[in-house]
Amino acid sequence: MEMPKAELSTPSSTPLASLQIKKEDETLKAVSFPSAGDRAPNHGDDLRSLLLPDAHHLPVTPPSAIETNFTCYFALDFLKPGHDQYVYRHANGLCVIGLAPTHVALKEEGGVVRVDFNVGKSDRSEMKVTGKRKRNAKHFESNTALCKVFTNGNFFLARCCVKGSLLEVNDRLIKQPDLLNTSFFGDKGYFC
Amino acid sequence: MDSGEEKATTFLSRAASSLPPPHAIRDLLSHGVCVRCIFRLFGVSEYDDSCPLLKASTLLSLLEEQRNIPNAISENGSIANDLTQCPYDPHASGNEQPYCSVCLGILQFTNGHDQDLRTCESNSVSVLTSAITEILKKEAHQIDGFSIEISLPPVVSANDRAIWLYMKGRYASEEWFIGKLLSQQISVKDALRSLVTTSLESCLGVKSSSSSFRIRLTYIHEEASSKLQCSMQKFHGFKRRKTETNCKERMVDDLCGKNETISGEFHRCDSDAVVHCTLNAMQDDAFSELFMLPPEKTNNGCKLTISCYRLPVYIGGRYLKFSRRVSQSRWMIEDERMGEASVEVRMLGSGRPFLVEVSNARVMPSMVNIQEIADKINNSNDKYVTVRNLKLVGSEAWNLLREGEAEKQKQYAAVVWISRPLTEVDFNKISSIKNLDILQKTPVRVLHRRSPMDRKKIIHWMMVDKIVGTSQHFLLHLCTQAGTYIKEFVHGDLGRTHPSLGSILGCRAEILQLDVTDVKMDCFD
Repeated sequence: MEMPKAELSTPSSTPLASLQIKKEDETLKAVSFPSAGDRAPNHGDDLRSLLLPDAHHLPVTPPSAIETNFTCYFALDFLKPGHDQYVYRHANGLCVIGLAPTHVALKEEGGVVRVDFNVGKSDRSEMKVTGKRKRNAKHFESNTALCKVFTNGNFFLARCCVKGSLLEVNDRLIKQPDLLNTSFFGDKGYFC
Repeated sequence: MDSGEEKATTFLSRAASSLPPPHAIRDLLSHGVCVRCIFRLFGVSEYDDSCPLLKASTLLSLLEEQRNIPNAISENGSIANDLTQCPYDPHASGNEQPYCSVCLGILQFTNGHDQDLRTCESNSVSVLTSAITEILKKEAHQIDGFSIEISLPPVVSANDRAIWLYMKGRYASEEWFIGKLLSQQISVKDALRSLVTTSLESCLGVKSSSSSFRIRLTYIHEEASSKLQCSMQKFHGFKRRKTETNCKERMVDDLCGKNETISGEFHRCDSDAVVHCTLNAMQDDAFSELFMLPPEKTNNGCKLTISCYRLPVYIGGRYLKFSRRVSQSRWMIEDERMGEASVEVRMLGSGRPFLVEVSNARVMPSMVNIQEIADKINNSNDKYVTVRNLKLVGSEAWNLLREGEAEKQKQYAAVVWISRPLTEVDFNKISSIKNLDILQKTPVRVLHRRSPMDRKKIIHWMMVDKIVGTSQHFLLHLCTQAGTYIKEFVHGDLGRTHPSLGSILGCRAEILQLDVTDVKMDCFD
């Protein structure tokens, strides 16, 4: 494995310029993964040795950003059998709502082919929430309809599952309904 | 004659040509004008305050003596000392006015006790100087200079004009008055400033200059000021009388006439600046209608508030932070409150610029002091933080810092994991990216306190540093526009940041560690 030369155009001389690593540095010294009680380096240390973790301490499969930052709840058979949805709740109280992998729509041939946010009363994708105070956010009950999910033969109603104010709708689903079928490079097909 | 009187005589013989004749002085004294005001109203300054201030009686007798000297060159005409014209007799009791009707006691330097100002010899400015020195000592200020700020109620300059117009009305025809101008007056502010400055300089041993140390003298005279406000209302009322029905104004006038306190509803209070403006624009005849000429005598003096303070001192520099609140077992799902906060970011490299504002410092720090502070921080046992380039800066530093925040670039190093091994293609793809535009919706983690909006950001360049022993982890160096959410750029934030590292590589990407390695600002470098 070749260590790259630093191809950076940094002004004057910054510590990063010393990233020109010679071949013998390839075998990393055992720099421990930074712990809570980190100390400043002595004059001789490289910035790099501070930055690089020891491979032994790295998790083989770290949890995803969702797993780390949200508490994942599931609403099973919500109002109807097989209508499984998830609610991912962030520590700050915001919730992301979507179709659970066990939802009956995802079991059909071809999965989800269309998503329509127009649920009769209003088109959910038209709402605009502005500002820190989140003006215009509509208040929803847990059984409020979010959108219609279409498969090849059927359609299903997705519900809010929690009581709260609607901040944002994932309008990418209009052009890319397939997002609901597979998680695409971390782009989760959530509703709102 | 003692030496004090000798000095006074010498001074007076020099000043005599400016001062009015004794009968005019008697007149002024009878209207409650203090001796210092008499001097300054006629442009006489530089009265050496190391001699005790002349008592009114002494002043009169010395002046009268001078005029009786046959060879005295007096251009003040030969008006006879018509003592019967002026009712003022300094030796009679019951004729006294404790506080000057013009300066309202400001130039009389009472020490706060009810002293008899007519007879007190030591109403010297040293009373004020001692009070200031006391405060400086009590608040433990060390100064190498000072700057005096004086705030006087506008009624004082109204009084100056009133006494002038009175004299003009009475003495315009007398020879000594011809050629005298209102502009020759020394204002109370200037007289006070020069008195206090000289005295403080000798007392403290430091010079007055445009210093960052301020000594503020605020004088307030509620009674006289509210009377002035009344007159202002009347004046505004005169102007409006032609165009409006004005029962309100008449009501105000009635109340003014009875000297009652006016409720907030009817009483429109002009600020000092507005009052000054209005007075300056007022013609003499309008002024004479509104104000008593000469100004009324008063039984109260001004209230003085002294405040001594240093203007803020700014210390700027760059700091580095070496700790992060991260445990080895961070990847276990912990109490949800830990969340994002546990991936705290270190500040490495050249450091992040910062600014400290010190209010009312008791001592002006020197460069040596600042260096001592820096050394103390950098040599402490807990090396969580170090500072670089710590120095004194001016107040413009705030603006510099604010500008820089929004505009400048930042450099990071992130430990990244991807869901499949890194290939050479990936490596080259990343390294070849230059000034990539990305669009970031407000990250979910801050959406509860920030506006929902789309932010266009630029990733200037990226570089991969492989980590030996692992194929799915690497160190990613990136340089981005200020305000870019790095974590969201790596993991994509549910697709709300696009493109993301994951979408570029075509796999899932997670961020395990983040450090700031440079904050590119032309600030405190």
